[in-house]
Amino acid sequence: MKHAEALVSVRNASKRFGATQALEDVSVDFETGRVHGLVGENGAGKSTLCKIVLGVHAPDAGSIWLEDSPLRLLSPAEGAALGLVGVAQELSLLPAMSVVDNVVLGTEEHWGPFVSERANRRRVEALIDEHGLEVPIDARAGSLSVADQQKVEILRALGRRSRLVVLDEPTARLASHEAAELLDTVRRLAERGVAVVYISHFLNEVLSVADTVTVMRDGRIVRTGPARLESHASLVEGMTGRQIGEVFPPKPPAPADDAPVVLRVDGLSSTGAEFADVSLQIRAGEIVGLAGLVGAGRSEVAHAVYGSLAVASGSVEVCGHRLSGSVDDALAKGVSLIPESRRDQGLMARRPVRDNTTLPYLRRFAGRLGIRASREQEAASEACDDVGVRAESMLTPVAALSGGNQQKVLFARAVLGEPQLLIADEPTRGVDVGSKRAIYEALNRMARSGCAVLLVSSELEEVIGTCHRALVMRRGRIVAEHEGGDMTETSLLAAAFGPGDGTARGRSQEPAAAAGEPR
Amino acid sequence: MMAQVLPAARRYGIAVVTVALFGLLAATTDGFLSQANFRNILDQQSALLIAASFATITMIAGGFDISAASVFVVAPLFALQVENATGSAGLALVVGVAVGLVVGVANGLVVTALKVNSFIATLATSFMVFGAGFLISDRSVLRASTDAYPAIARTRWWGITTGAWIAAGVVAVAWILLSRTRFGRHVYAVGGNAEAARLAGVHVARVKTVAFALAGAAAGLAGVVSSSRTLSALPSDDFSFVFGVIAAVVVGGTSIAGGEGAVWRTIAGAFFIALMINGFNLHQVDPIWQRVIQGAVILAAVSIDSWTQRRPT
Ligand SMILES: Nc1ncnc2c1ncn2[C@@H]1O[C@H](COP(=O)(O)OP(=O)(O)OP(=O)(O)O)[C@@H](O)[C@H]1O
Ligand SMILES: [Mg+2]
Repeated sequence: MKHAEALVSVRNASKRFGATQALEDVSVDFETGRVHGLVGENGAGKSTLCKIVLGVHAPDAGSIWLEDSPLRLLSPAEGAALGLVGVAQELSLLPAMSVVDNVVLGTEEHWGPFVSERANRRRVEALIDEHGLEVPIDARAGSLSVADQQKVEILRALGRRSRLVVLDEPTARLASHEAAELLDTVRRLAERGVAVVYISHFLNEVLSVADTVTVMRDGRIVRTGPARLESHASLVEGMTGRQIGEVFPPKPPAPADDAPVVLRVDGLSSTGAEFADVSLQIRAGEIVGLAGLVGAGRSEVAHAVYGSLAVASGSVEVCGHRLSGSVDDALAKGVSLIPESRRDQGLMARRPVRDNTTLPYLRRFAGRLGIRASREQEAASEACDDVGVRAESMLTPVAALSGGNQQKVLFARAVLGEPQLLIADEPTRGVDVGSKRAIYEALNRMARSGCAVLLVSSELEEVIGTCHRALVMRRGRIVAEHEGGDMTETSLLAAAFGPGDGTARGRSQEPAAAAGEPR
Repeated sequence: MMAQVLPAARRYGIAVVTVALFGLLAATTDGFLSQANFRNILDQQSALLIAASFATITMIAGGFDISAASVFVVAPLFALQVENATGSAGLALVVGVAVGLVVGVANGLVVTALKVNSFIATLATSFMVFGAGFLISDRSVLRASTDAYPAIARTRWWGITTGAWIAAGVVAVAWILLSRTRFGRHVYAVGGNAEAARLAGVHVARVKTVAFALAGAAAGLAGVVSSSRTLSALPSDDFSFVFGVIAAVVVGGTSIAGGEGAVWRTIAGAFFIALMINGFNLHQVDPIWQRVIQGAVILAAVSIDSWTQRRPT
């Protein structure tokens, strides 16, 4: 640790995309054996900085140095050959291939032209043992949960005798206890002499794992310094240039007992083993959290209510009307869904922000000559402003937005729908602290105007900080219900893990995570 | 300055190149800048434009339809049989389009309900349709028996043939459908991310089926227009028409992967290829070499397109 030296140095790098200056005159050193935290608001340029180091983008100006020689990468493959690897913010697995194949892809053990299945398996098993990232190694990557897919991505990066590993929001899709394990892995990596770059919106994670922290704002570096000199508040201030106070705005008042029931779910069971006998009610203006471990069946319930997943039995009523179980019907009766995976289920990456925002509600802009472009444009940009989407224009392809802003586009879509019932599946994943608050405020506004909200979230603090009431699912069943002051991390975690699993580690038990950050 | 010019050049690349080719031919080639030559080009392109503008929609929706060739060959055979039997050109036209529509709907259902890959599905239906063409025509050339049938595409309005007017109308309809309507948006959504489209309430199967159906009907119309120009139709199993269609769509820059593209691109692509061939002919390039060069140019156009879209920015 004493002999930390710069492995990769970025000097005066700039990068512009169209009218967006993503990076401006950025200089930073990533050191061997150190974890370098990178924080900043959505669109601050964190991912872009890492992408120029990994060879995904070429900088417009400035230079990059690997040890003492200048580095000019033309592709990520060249970077990987030099030991510079990254785990991208968006997953990029080959869904039809097994976990083993995905992890060793490009570095397969072989014997002449023949791939050695056994050697590959052994290598992957060794990796899993070493880092404690359990995944079923023969499963097809596409059949895994998002959290498991994330682990496969991380294993892939770890398996490449890497010298620099970039982790871009690696814990955004992980449950609390898995995230804690990942942080251990990150520390161990650094101890073995790897330079780690760690990007996260969970500032407490960064504070606990990083040696050095760089704060970015609007494409520039605000400061780089030792992590021990930073605090949650100082990072937030550096990122936003202002103090934002509490992450969670005050909750809207809980609905009166005679408030109308908007959502009534009765004895809902899936055709498979995903969930069984789920019943719940949400009143107008009420925000209800659906907590539990990843894989507990929460997203499946969300989809079943929305009509995008067939059910074996049970009924769903919205405002007294029974839903027929089709997405169309749900949309017509005022239900909106923000799906869990923005890339696979949410967005048309190459289409403009406008089209992505208005897609389910195009009927509203119907004119005699097709869609009325100006009204559509106006409505889309209003909805996007409402939740704070930062985009060059409404016609920018969604793929050109930063990760957090892409998430906000989905939220804008829901706002545009003015639903009676909003189902939000991890709506703040990858969203920065300031914008999180903007999203919570938008949620609250919707609740105040009488919308019922079902919030699926793996962040216990988010559930506690925003919901009137929380339901906990375990293995496909609702096992607990907590209200108001009864909602604590301990009570929710205990219910999520169930009796007899006292060894469960939640990050709530870690000293670093106690400081009032959502998760 | 470059920052604004480059993306625009990328975006409108094919249009720029087509205009440049036009300029080049105008400057260097005798006989290019004549009304007769332009009319000729328009006439020759009309059938292809009709089929290609709707093939663009299918491709954006994520489908790959090669049955256009078989419909193009066979629809006029049905149309001419009807014309020979009833003497009605109008009815013949309707039947020709209907044949295409039926094939298109069948393609759409096979692709969406049976979940057969669209290339394979339309290859299979192509063989069936070609076969039907030999049956209906009894393997012989069919000729128009009235003056009304040739008039469908050969009448002149303001110096331009009705065939070209029909093409212009069809192109306009496809363009508006794709860029201004809900159906058009749904087409882009289905091709761009089918699961996201489904969750946004888009009827994915319905949109795809309609896209195939319209492409079939357009190919049928293209066949009737073409046979009306040549006064006859001949059964065959010649796939070449659809290759011209796909070349125009792809050279224009519509993505084979779906989700991206535009009708104007296909028009630019079609005219780029047409101007190139016209230039060769006026310069009397050996037709055998024309093919080789044409293939190379298509390859170059498509590579440049994918290079500008993928290169690290
Ligand atoms: N390929 C691209 N084309 C155009 N603009 C882009 C592209 N990639 C990034 N940008 C823009 O550059 C800016 C920086 O984006 P970047 O992805 O680096 O942000 P980030 O700090 O990683 O944000 P987040 O926390 O949301 O992931 C944003 O304004 C974004 O819209
Ligand atoms: Mg990012």
